[in-house]
Amino acid sequence: MVSNGSQDIKAEMATSEVQPDNKTRRYDRQLRLWAATGQSALESARVLVIGASATATSILKNLVLPGIGHITLLDHCVVSPADAGNNFFFEGSSIGRNRAEEAVYRLAELNDSVQARADTRDVADVLASDQSYFFGFSLIITHNIAPVLLKRLADLLWSNPSSPPLIPVRSAGFLAEFFVQFHTHEIIESHTEDSTSLRIDKPFPALLQAARELKFDAMDTTDHGHIPYVYILVRALDDWKTAHDGLPPQTYAEKQEFKSLLNAQKRTLDEENFDEAVAQSYRAWTPTITPPHLVELFADTTIPSTPFGHLLAALQSFSRRPPHVLPLSVTLPDMKSDTESYVRLQNLYRTQAAEEREQFRALLRVPVQNELVDLFVKNAHGVQLLKGACYGALDATPEKLTAHLGSLTRETATHLAFFALDAWRSSPPRQSGGPTDSELREHIVSLVPSVELDEKEISDAVGEIIRAPTADLPNVAAFLGGIVAQEAIKMITRQYIPVNGYCVIDLVDTWTGVLPS
Amino acid sequence: MATTDAPITNGINYPDWEDRYYHVDQVLDNPGPRTDPDSFMAGDGVKNFLRNQCKILVIGAGGLGCEILANLALSGFKDIHVIDMDTIDISNLNRQFLFRSKDVGQPKATVAAEYIMKRVPGVKVTPYYGKIQDKDDDYYMQFNLVICGLDSVEARRWINATLVNLVDPENPESLKPLIDGGTEGFKGQARVILPTITSCYECSLDMLNKPTTFPICTIANTPRLPEHCIEWASVLEWPKVKGDMKLDTDDPEHIQWLYSVALERAQEFKIEGVTWSLTQGVVKNIIPAIASTNAIIAASCCNEAFKIATSSAAYLNNYFMLIGTESVYSHTFEHEKRNDCPVCGGESLEVSISESWTVERLIEMLVEKQDIQIKKPSLSTPTKQIYFQAPPQLEVATRPNLEKKVSELVPDGGDVTVTATTLPFSLSLRITYT
Ligand SMILES: [Zn+2]
Repeated sequence: MVSNGSQDIKAEMATSEVQPDNKTRRYDRQLRLWAATGQSALESARVLVIGASATATSILKNLVLPGIGHITLLDHCVVSPADAGNNFFFEGSSIGRNRAEEAVYRLAELNDSVQARADTRDVADVLASDQSYFFGFSLIITHNIAPVLLKRLADLLWSNPSSPPLIPVRSAGFLAEFFVQFHTHEIIESHTEDSTSLRIDKPFPALLQAARELKFDAMDTTDHGHIPYVYILVRALDDWKTAHDGLPPQTYAEKQEFKSLLNAQKRTLDEENFDEAVAQSYRAWTPTITPPHLVELFADTTIPSTPFGHLLAALQSFSRRPPHVLPLSVTLPDMKSDTESYVRLQNLYRTQAAEEREQFRALLRVPVQNELVDLFVKNAHGVQLLKGACYGALDATPEKLTAHLGSLTRETATHLAFFALDAWRSSPPRQSGGPTDSELREHIVSLVPSVELDEKEISDAVGEIIRAPTADLPNVAAFLGGIVAQEAIKMITRQYIPVNGYCVIDLVDTWTGVLPS
Repeated sequence: MATTDAPITNGINYPDWEDRYYHVDQVLDNPGPRTDPDSFMAGDGVKNFLRNQCKILVIGAGGLGCEILANLALSGFKDIHVIDMDTIDISNLNRQFLFRSKDVGQPKATVAAEYIMKRVPGVKVTPYYGKIQDKDDDYYMQFNLVICGLDSVEARRWINATLVNLVDPENPESLKPLIDGGTEGFKGQARVILPTITSCYECSLDMLNKPTTFPICTIANTPRLPEHCIEWASVLEWPKVKGDMKLDTDDPEHIQWLYSVALERAQEFKIEGVTWSLTQGVVKNIIPAIASTNAIIAASCCNEAFKIATSSAAYLNNYFMLIGTESVYSHTFEHEKRNDCPVCGGESLEVSISESWTVERLIEMLVEKQDIQIKKPSLSTPTKQIYFQAPPQLEVATRPNLEKKVSELVPDGGDVTVTATTLPFSLSLRITYT
């Protein structure tokens, strides 16, 4: 790679010299977040949304705009005057027509490249007679559908580990919550902001040699002021270890001494590269280790038999060998240096990274596509495997709810209020009009009987729900449209980290919180 | 669902059909546990104000603005004004959902207003295609509320200072709540500013991310990153080769030129990574933007506007930020007013500098310091002019002062007034020497 570097540049020049096409220009602002890999995942996704409410169409709008592959909107009802009043994707003329067809017609106008379909069947009928239908999608989202139907759908999907994720969304007035149901979720590009190690503490042979060979004393003032801090640190640590039985600075006093040794090397007060070395000196005594979340993952015996699982197994083997690190993958940060030294240092890291990538590849027990290996190695320190839960499982575990009530009081209180609303909707006999305060509280008490509830949080949540039990407010719908679409995009692209559990939202006091399941 | 029980009437296209506000009316007919009973006029009182009297201004018809206009219209605001100086670009279409390919090149404000009025009958949206600075105090005085969905720091500082200056303690109507939203990728924030009462936009200037700048000597002599090569092309080579021709970052020919020049330099120094997209990103300072984050923040802004206009629930006090990259994280808090805020604080800002500092050095500091950030400041004391950026004659007359020490012109503990043509306020500094 290093030897033919200039050819690489020429090759890239040939392909990227032309101005970007219309599609790239249209998606420019999002490609800067999830790149071509994320975009292509979006374009191959098929999303089913059940219920053509204002919230549901807002979610769809935010998936159609960035170019999702396919949407189906399932709804058998007709547009009511109330629907025409709060949903941007209906007009006066929509009243009396099928909700799915009317909304899909206007959603499709937002982006020609999206395939959009309306399904006018009743979800109850589909659940009863066409269960395989749901397995044809990559993600399913529901909004305020009947609790009994939602339960049936969630259980159906949970029964098969390879079924699509489900995001049930609930809202009433200013309050809302949604859940993300999945068995496991593999993430290679987590985009977490932890900085990767430069291996100052465990320099690879070529780096150590290059640092040792530099003749600091023989340099003129300009060169001395442009030695990259990586060399300065590697060399200072090497010297330190020789004088300290092979150990890095450990105590506070030693660390201070190490820093003053760096400062003492300065020829003039304003040598920025030595200032950078002092500022980055923690790298000398911070050991390069396997991140704790990966250690935990390696200990897990239920790693799936997927390409991701094979890559994870190889990563474990790699980290078990000395020097017990993850494959090198680093974007060299900018530092005070002349161009030549910087480019040379960058090439040292690139050559080593390429070698380690090949070593990693050799450890794979099952072959995996080259591009996927490269992507995995590049992001190795941040890869994640999330284990999810079934919708409703939390409500079946009162001891967890009780624990949450102690630490996540307002989130749990709001969740319980939604639980109670669902329980009220499902329990006969149903009175005309909405639920009352005492009816909802009865359902809460029956779920967590032995707990002393926080009166203020419970009455704040229950009070807002009985105030507007069926209201799909335009602003709350738009808020959910955005936040649920973010989660959908994270699930589909397998980039960034989705919510694992419930996300609870209160737009009276304007807060969000997460209840782990 | 309950909504489907409503009677069906075909072909209704007049405003306010029965049940039009079935959803919104649930929170307007009844108070909630956190509603202030003294200010909430449940039922007809509040509906009449919202739908027949309230006048709201939306600044910006872009990513946030499109969403804000739709939300306000559906919430029942009927008299909406919108200002935007931009025209529609193809890269807007991934999120600005009131625009189509056929609209590229048209003014955003006009197209957005027409679309909203077509989709939500009975709502009047009055567009203005131009700058916020074109309008005077009388114009801003006519609104009950202002919502800002802008990507420019300069414009937000201007409207913030204008609304703070508008406040007349004798006239409660002169206090216009300002709701401001902003996004970047999966992150965003919404805030409520009550001019002179709560923390203002200027109070929180130090919370902004510092823009990345590269030292000119790195760009000229020791480039290491592709960004350094791009800066070399745009900052040094463009003026050298093109003379007086202004660089237009929206012109693909100009970007093409910068890209080729940067690429050539990168090859010379064996630096990898100069691409068309990076070139455009660096010279236009592009911030990633997606529909979903804009939807969240616009909805937060409109929800606060709705709560303020109706008193149906308490409104945000005063800052909400959300980060969607790792699960969903958000933080709601009260940002504190700064007593030495140049817009709403009243006290002068204490600045301690070395006795040897020149006027030029002080100006550099004013440009760079995170809580000041005044581009092209002009300086004066109560008795004399120190340095003025304009008009040209005054600039020439005061230029010799740039090399003088501040301590020769201003006594210890003395006051300096800083102004800039882009900002409708002045900053008072109290200078002390170390
Ligand atoms: Zn202020």
